[in-house]
Amino acid sequence: MADLVIQNISVYFSGVVALDDVSLTVPSGSIYSLVGANGSGKTTFFNCVNGFVKPRRGNIFFNDSNLLDRSPHEIIHAGISRTFQNLENIPYMTVLENVLLGNHTRISAGGTFQRWVSRKQREKEESDGLKMLSFLGLANYEQKYLTGQPYAIQKLVEIARALVCRPQLIMIDEPAAGMNDQESMEMAKIITEIRDELGITVLLVEHDMNLVMSVSDRICVLDSGRVLAEGTPDEIKTHPEVVKAFIGEGADA
Amino acid sequence: MKGRYEDENLKWIALLILLVLLVPFLLQGMTYSYRYYLYVLNIAGIYMILTVGLDLLSGYTGQVSLGHAGFLAIGAYSSAILVDQAGIPFGLSLILASLITGVFGLMIGFPALRISGMYLGLTTMGFGFIVRRIIIALRDWTEGSAGLAVSKPQLFGFTFNNDLHNYYLIYTFVILAVILARRIVKSKLGRAFQAIRDSGHAAQAAGINLSKYKLISFFISAIFAGLAGALFAHTMRFISTDHFDILLSIYFIIMVLVGGTSSIYGAVLGTLFIVSLDYLIVPQFKDWLSTFMSLEAGDIQSLIFGLIMFLFIIFQPTGLYGMWIKMRIYWKLFPFNPKKRFT
Repeated sequence: MADLVIQNISVYFSGVVALDDVSLTVPSGSIYSLVGANGSGKTTFFNCVNGFVKPRRGNIFFNDSNLLDRSPHEIIHAGISRTFQNLENIPYMTVLENVLLGNHTRISAGGTFQRWVSRKQREKEESDGLKMLSFLGLANYEQKYLTGQPYAIQKLVEIARALVCRPQLIMIDEPAAGMNDQESMEMAKIITEIRDELGITVLLVEHDMNLVMSVSDRICVLDSGRVLAEGTPDEIKTHPEVVKAFIGEGADA
Repeated sequence: MKGRYEDENLKWIALLILLVLLVPFLLQGMTYSYRYYLYVLNIAGIYMILTVGLDLLSGYTGQVSLGHAGFLAIGAYSSAILVDQAGIPFGLSLILASLITGVFGLMIGFPALRISGMYLGLTTMGFGFIVRRIIIALRDWTEGSAGLAVSKPQLFGFTFNNDLHNYYLIYTFVILAVILARRIVKSKLGRAFQAIRDSGHAAQAAGINLSKYKLISFFISAIFAGLAGALFAHTMRFISTDHFDILLSIYFIIMVLVGGTSSIYGAVLGTLFIVSLDYLIVPQFKDWLSTFMSLEAGDIQSLIFGLIMFLFIIFQPTGLYGMWIKMRIYWKLFPFNPKKRFT
């Protein structure tokens, strides 16, 4: 297992500073949260790690390899998978097929041909997806088409798709957006279980501060593309800069 | 567990294959003009192979192609030339013609990596025009626009003499093509295709190389079209550039749309529907319509097909296959379904 090390990355979108000299380290086996106001660069940060955005400067190391040398579709081979803020599911495939899509790199072409003739091979291929669905509590949804499923289910399917290939690190973009309190609590439980039972490092972007404070080992606060503060939840709660930015000056005066 | 494999229920497939084998005899018993019906079914079968491939490309991968008549032409002419001028046996030329067409598919696939949607449609349409011009220009081999007579198909010493023989030849390949396409769609490849269509980002995050899989999709689709073309050349016995004009490419798209995009059975149903409309039903109305409208022969087809596509897109976007699924659900729940669910 390895840490995700980000060194001084900067991203500009035609004059807009999306990320400005950001450095941080995600320790392996932890739940690491990125928080910040809208437009503070959280999703851009994910896109950098995932290769969708190439930073102007800086390096991203994972397992001693520089992720910036890889195309987006090669990132998963390094052991990093992700979910998206706006659902990026395939609506006219079943839930199980959506999950198996995430297992793409682990199914060989030879296995595909074998699968055409042998049901055993097919069941082997599908058992990975089914295991992941039952882990997330979606066991009965496997045959349903994704379109028309509730939002929370679709969100979980996306997480299942990112988990099924057994990555070392998963980036989850706003898992609890648009969810009610109970669903957020379940999501918090799932995030903890991903780390504890599957042993996968979690990098999280989330606006729900209750969820972030309850699950995170470390939190990084971004503001206009800069790192405002970094530390454990308790440190962040009392950090003067964070309090100033999010609650306002003189709140306790 | 049982339900998940319902889509590949062997009992139904065996029944369907039996039906396909029996159709000529049923027709013979029912009508005097059964030879014409067989001929129409043969054309439908050839087009089915192509539209199944087109559905893989346009329906599943989301890459519009208006140049599939061009692929059909390449398959037809290359097989005709390989058999009659290079002396290659028919069985081998089927494979070679498909592969040659597949290579042309790859060539069209490369610009498709950069463009999408309507621009891709226009590019592939241009490809269709280019193919026709090149066939005319290669006069030494193709006899230009005069057309080329092609020998009968021969396999393992057996000559396919009439439409009944051709029917079994063609529908063997239709069944194989449908089974293969279903397998592709339900495998890793099919999931990658659909991911490319619906969400490029999700596909890339899952480790799918978009360029590679788009090219694979073009390749496979062109192989289906090339196989259809080779069968077309040898069973119709005569090919000319008029058989492969741009309107045919558009008809192929209509067949896929009417059948229901992204369903292999839909492509088959849509092709059967449009071809039988074209050859069996429209001719019945032609005389009647031309009594009060001055129409050229081709106009009425375009008019009716355009209208059908229009109506299907507005009222039945899931196509004939979607209608069948809804009907099945309706009967499954029969007495307990409110009427408005059947819409």
